[in-house]
Amino acid sequence: MTEATPPPLTLAVEHVSVRFGGLTALNDVSFSIAANEIVGLIGPNGAGKTTAFNVVCGFLAPSSGTVRFPALGRENLKPAQLAKAGVARTLQGVGLFDHLSVIENVMAGAQSRPGGGFFTSLLGLPISSRREHLVRDEALAMLDRLGIARFAKALPGSIPYGIAKKVAVARALMGQPRLMMLDEPASGLDENELSDFASLISGLKDTMSVLLVEHNMDFVMPLVDRLVVLNFGQVIASGPPSVISHDEAVLAAYLGVEQ
Amino acid sequence: MKRLLLLRTSYPTSSRLVATVVLAVLGVAITFTLTALDDSKLAGGAAIAIVIVGLSWLIGWSGQVSLGNSGFMAIGAYATAIWANHHTTTPIIFTLLLATACGAVGGLILALPSTRLRGPYLAGMTLAFSFAIAPLALNFPSLTGGSGGLFLNFLSAPTWFVNLFSGSQALIRANAQWTADVAIVVTAVAFFFMANLFHSRTGRAMRLVRDNDVAAELAGVNLQRTRTLAFAISAAYAGLGGSLLTLLTGSVTPQTYSLPLSILLLTLMVLGGIGTLSGAVIGGLIYSYSDNLVSLINKTTGISPTSTFGANLKGIVFGVLLILTMLLAPRGLVGMGSRLTSLVRRPARES
Repeated sequence: MTEATPPPLTLAVEHVSVRFGGLTALNDVSFSIAANEIVGLIGPNGAGKTTAFNVVCGFLAPSSGTVRFPALGRENLKPAQLAKAGVARTLQGVGLFDHLSVIENVMAGAQSRPGGGFFTSLLGLPISSRREHLVRDEALAMLDRLGIARFAKALPGSIPYGIAKKVAVARALMGQPRLMMLDEPASGLDENELSDFASLISGLKDTMSVLLVEHNMDFVMPLVDRLVVLNFGQVIASGPPSVISHDEAVLAAYLGVEQ
Repeated sequence: MKRLLLLRTSYPTSSRLVATVVLAVLGVAITFTLTALDDSKLAGGAAIAIVIVGLSWLIGWSGQVSLGNSGFMAIGAYATAIWANHHTTTPIIFTLLLATACGAVGGLILALPSTRLRGPYLAGMTLAFSFAIAPLALNFPSLTGGSGGLFLNFLSAPTWFVNLFSGSQALIRANAQWTADVAIVVTAVAFFFMANLFHSRTGRAMRLVRDNDVAAELAGVNLQRTRTLAFAISAAYAGLGGSLLTLLTGSVTPQTYSLPLSILLLTLMVLGGIGTLSGAVIGGLIYSYSDNLVSLINKTTGISPTSTFGANLKGIVFGVLLILTMLLAPRGLVGMGSRLTSLVRRPARES
């Protein structure tokens, strides 16, 4: 609070509105994420969390407002530009490539890196093979870091759900992102997997900012630095979990507590 | 150890090059043992294998269905015939490259509207293209020769090659074998490049788009560009195959490259195994020697080849084979082979 120069923002959502015909899904939503900050985007069903995520990722164009990535020097990115710009996103569920092995799924995370273009691939130039080897080694190291290297050759359909979720994170990390967006990372995980995942996400903070959408409050509260609460497409509160958990508007809207 | 096991699945280019040369030499060696007729059939099968591998790339790797690859073959075939009739001394390599490029451009043009379409809509678009090729050829007779098509000098063996043969049939045998050998070498080169693509970043981009386009886009893959590239490569291979077939037969007619050929290509691809190099080779071989199978059935069952049933026997055989493959080996003969191998290996490992 007393810092002289605040860290540069990784993401700044500024006065974003999204309208589908007569329905307003997001109404003048603004929030930001600083460097090395973990922010949770929460709210009841239909509050606009996924819409906000999709606007940040460029899957939806905002009807008005801007999505800026000040630290990356970009704004209003399209989905295919995200990876190169340093933004990674996991999908609800696991969103893996079903017919590719785990290691290839993770290698896919490095797809946006330069090298191995069409003609070098076609001709089989050494640079193409070298790149593939480097990426493969790196993907294996990433799996090893997450403790799931033994599943490297398995297909996603044959591995436990919790492992598949980690594979999705490993794939996102391969893009060496500055901003990691996690879409419901805790869904479908058991108690052990939850604590495992929480420590994994906490560890990311050293090198990147994290924005996550999550329903599981027990998982989110101790994990994030700040919460942004959406309800009916509007930001109704923003602040540290300790403050949000006592915010009357949030309790009324999100937790359904009668005041 | 674990690392080595994983790296083994990524074959470096040099291994692929060695494998290509060994297989091409083996193929050429085999042509020395075949009759002139079988050599000619093999040459045709090699050209078709090139088209099948291109189709396999499009369908098996990028997940886009095409019923229009006979049309791209026609583009390559006509480009070859038109060029060869005006430039009789052009080296064959140049003619083949020109036809490949023409096929690729055709694919690129069709891809621009098509890659926005999925499933049956895409199939419908390519089907329309397949139907349009013959009328197009018929409407520009000064260029395409109309319904009679175009004729050109087919490949003939150089003198040094003819001198390897003796006897009364020396020239016929030499020519048949020369065309087979040229076809094998061209096929080997085409397959080498395709193998490179399979094991590259470009090949992975195709599979990402096929499996999950949202996740692919988030990984930085441009969907439109990737799908267009898949189409262009597939069409380039079809153009090359059409060109080779034209050089082998010395003629091109609009009827050759119509919808039934597209259906046959799909059937051969499924029989061999979608998305595999060896499946395409098997498909090409089935194309080459399916007549032998039909005449064997004629002989053993006594069905006259001139009867209505006999005349349609080839189509019936392909239909039955396709149904059996879909039921018993959905991954084609290649998939069945690898399943059998794993069944044989498993008890051995367990013991």
